[in-house]
Amino acid sequence: MAVAGGTLEHEHGAGHHEMSDALYEEIRGHRLLGFTLFLISDCILFSAFIFAYLYLRNTIDHWPPPGIEGPNLLFGALNSVVLFGSGATMHYALESWKHGNTKLFYRWLGLTLFLGLWFLLGQGYEYSDLYYRQHATWAGSIFGASFFTLTGLHGFHVFVGLIYLSVVWLQTRAGVYTRQRFFGLTAATLYWHFVDVIWVFLFFLFYIF
Amino acid sequence: MSILQATIEQTLTLYFGVIVFLTAIVQTKNEWGKHALEDNVTKLLLILMAVGCVEAIGATLGFLGHHGGA
Amino acid sequence: MAVAAQHSPLAEHIHPEPQGFIRKYVFSIDHKIIGIQYMVTGLIFFVIAGCLAELIRTQLLNGNARFLTPDQYNEVYSMHGTAMVWFVTIPLVTGGFGNIIMPLMIGARDVAFPWLNMLSFWLFPPAGALLFASFLVGAPEAGWTEYPPVSLQGPPGTTLWCLAIILIGVSSTLTGLNFMVTIFKMRAPGMTLTRMPLFVWAQFATAGLNMIATVALSAALSALFMERVFGVPFYDPNHGGSPILWQHMFWFYSHPAVYIFILPAFGIISEVLPVFARKPIYGYKMIAFSSVTIALLGFMVWAHHMFTSGMAPWLQLPFMILTMLIAIPTGIKIWSWMGTLWGGVIHYTTAMLFAMGFLITFTIGGLTGIMLAAVPADLHEHGTYFVVAHFHYVIFGGTFMGVLAGIYYWWPKVTNRLLSEKIGVLQFWLTFIFMNLTFFPMHILGLEGMPRRVAVYAPQYTDMNRFISISSYVLAFTFVLLFINMAWSLKYGKKAGPNPWGARTLEWMIPSPPPYYNFKNIPAVLSGPYDFGSPLPYIGLEEELEKAPGGGPLPAGAH
Repeated sequence: MAVAGGTLEHEHGAGHHEMSDALYEEIRGHRLLGFTLFLISDCILFSAFIFAYLYLRNTIDHWPPPGIEGPNLLFGALNSVVLFGSGATMHYALESWKHGNTKLFYRWLGLTLFLGLWFLLGQGYEYSDLYYRQHATWAGSIFGASFFTLTGLHGFHVFVGLIYLSVVWLQTRAGVYTRQRFFGLTAATLYWHFVDVIWVFLFFLFYIF
Repeated sequence: MSILQATIEQTLTLYFGVIVFLTAIVQTKNEWGKHALEDNVTKLLLILMAVGCVEAIGATLGFLGHHGGA
Repeated sequence: MAVAAQHSPLAEHIHPEPQGFIRKYVFSIDHKIIGIQYMVTGLIFFVIAGCLAELIRTQLLNGNARFLTPDQYNEVYSMHGTAMVWFVTIPLVTGGFGNIIMPLMIGARDVAFPWLNMLSFWLFPPAGALLFASFLVGAPEAGWTEYPPVSLQGPPGTTLWCLAIILIGVSSTLTGLNFMVTIFKMRAPGMTLTRMPLFVWAQFATAGLNMIATVALSAALSALFMERVFGVPFYDPNHGGSPILWQHMFWFYSHPAVYIFILPAFGIISEVLPVFARKPIYGYKMIAFSSVTIALLGFMVWAHHMFTSGMAPWLQLPFMILTMLIAIPTGIKIWSWMGTLWGGVIHYTTAMLFAMGFLITFTIGGLTGIMLAAVPADLHEHGTYFVVAHFHYVIFGGTFMGVLAGIYYWWPKVTNRLLSEKIGVLQFWLTFIFMNLTFFPMHILGLEGMPRRVAVYAPQYTDMNRFISISSYVLAFTFVLLFINMAWSLKYGKKAGPNPWGARTLEWMIPSPPPYYNFKNIPAVLSGPYDFGSPLPYIGLEEELEKAPGGGPLPAGAH
């Protein structure tokens, strides 16, 4: 990531532009591996809470517990497709950048942000239905404990992702990325896909299973 | 929830679900020859994204999920 | 990945030396300084946690003592365990030794992400402060394992405990990630994985554990936090939760954690034994691969801490068998180390004495581990002093003996002074003898039924408890000897030079202490570092010791 603050970027002047290709490639390799390992450790975080959810769910016969309908399947399916769609648009954004089309890059990135925001608002709607109509609260039952904790953790990751993508937008405007050196864009895309894929599992675990 | 709302949701989910599913599959095929770490991670995540679309389509058509009876 | 990059622009790049006291010694991104910071902070917490241990032993001088109230006693052993696990052992072996030595051993100028390394360290003292602040509001009382429902009802300090461990957990996870990338990507040209020193293999396996397991603990801790603060039901059976869920989540981390403790110590032993036996390490590949095997198997055995918990009974057999399986790679190491000593010319330096002492005390600890792995025996031994004896043998007799060996071995590299061998040998014998006198009787106490975590006990246990307590006071004193030795050495110790031991790993090929850039020129590596008697397997080290204060290295094999 061409994040200001790394010693090498500072020494070389304006970001990574002055350093040699070979040095950039080497550092990029380190950062890519580090970022991938970070995503793996994030998977473990979700896995631990998923284990807790499955364990708790296994202690009762009927899920959701009596008195709670649970999240809405059709609404959830639409919201899921919105999030998956944002993954596709982010992929196209990166491809546009690689092929030199800056205008398309911003369009696809903007669409990604829009769809990501739509997803979060959809989650908010889902939460309000559960809370106000079904009276399912975070602390009220093991359903609330598992559903709100896991989807909340995921929603937090989406929120951070939206901030990350906004930062990437501003960085691109400021000229941080070139056609050859754009690791920050690659990392943002990987992060966004990761957030997508976590939802694939959560949607299955809470809406289908 | 009204029938109209349900129908709109189903239609939109189907329509976009299919598009995104096809996008994911086609883009995975395009990336297939590349083998760097980020390409392999991208391919894996795109495939899982396609799986997600299948889930959503299955849910909205009633094949998957409690209301569908899977 | 098997062959390191032939040409590394990053390795050629020497950044300018940091200026000013703050950037050099406080907020440093230099792995050597950060490592020393970890060692110093870890040793400070060691003294504090050791004092807590002596409070425990003082209470236990009598079966009905009122030196501490029962609640105070619970706080003391909970904090002793917590501090020793997370604020002493893990920081010393990963953040301390790992940071100082590993990059030097692979011929790198620093770790992959130096700023992240600095962040990792600076999470450590605040986390420790947060932990000990809990004494002000009522420290946690349910042991370092904080099982619900007791931990749900515990004093406010329990919530601080959750936050403190989460914070230091982030530090560990980042260090693990940093070390993994460093070892994968930044080895000197020619240093294939099978030419890496075994200490690096150990740090590699440990980094994987650190990165994966610690995150699972954060989940458990944050769930406990959410339940205590917001009432979210995970663990309270009155609200649909399960105490056994906590145990699963907690031990899923805490079992791999014990391999985080021991693997770096194994690595230190693998470095010290060949040097002071003047012989190649026996079974290099077996030792290297067994480290990875132990790390992997370590994820599969957590429920052996839960045989008496009321979990599903069918889980007992598989966990018992998997636990016993770990004895195999561990045993392979022990035999390989003994094979290393066999036929060697032994030089009884203090480092070597601690390494050899390790072989005895760790093996005892390992054997009692097998006794605990057997479910029928565990049903009797669980929750007794037998368990306390076991883990003190493997952690003190294992990790700490390794840490002491490492201190005596690498102190000259870091400070350019030799520690006094006279004080060192005295310290070794006192530590070794009194460690055994303190902890061995605990096996017997446990088998005779004395439970752990009790402030008072039945009269028949009195004599042995008194014996243990008195021994523990002497044991504590031996650490004073260590600190005296360190202070003496800094003032009066003989100058060490680059390679006082005639060792062959890369850290000994540069001046003591190493310059901030480590190597003037990154060498190329032709083979592994354990072939005593052969020429050194490095190309390009000619300039390293020019104008060095202590003179040149000893030729390999000379003594």
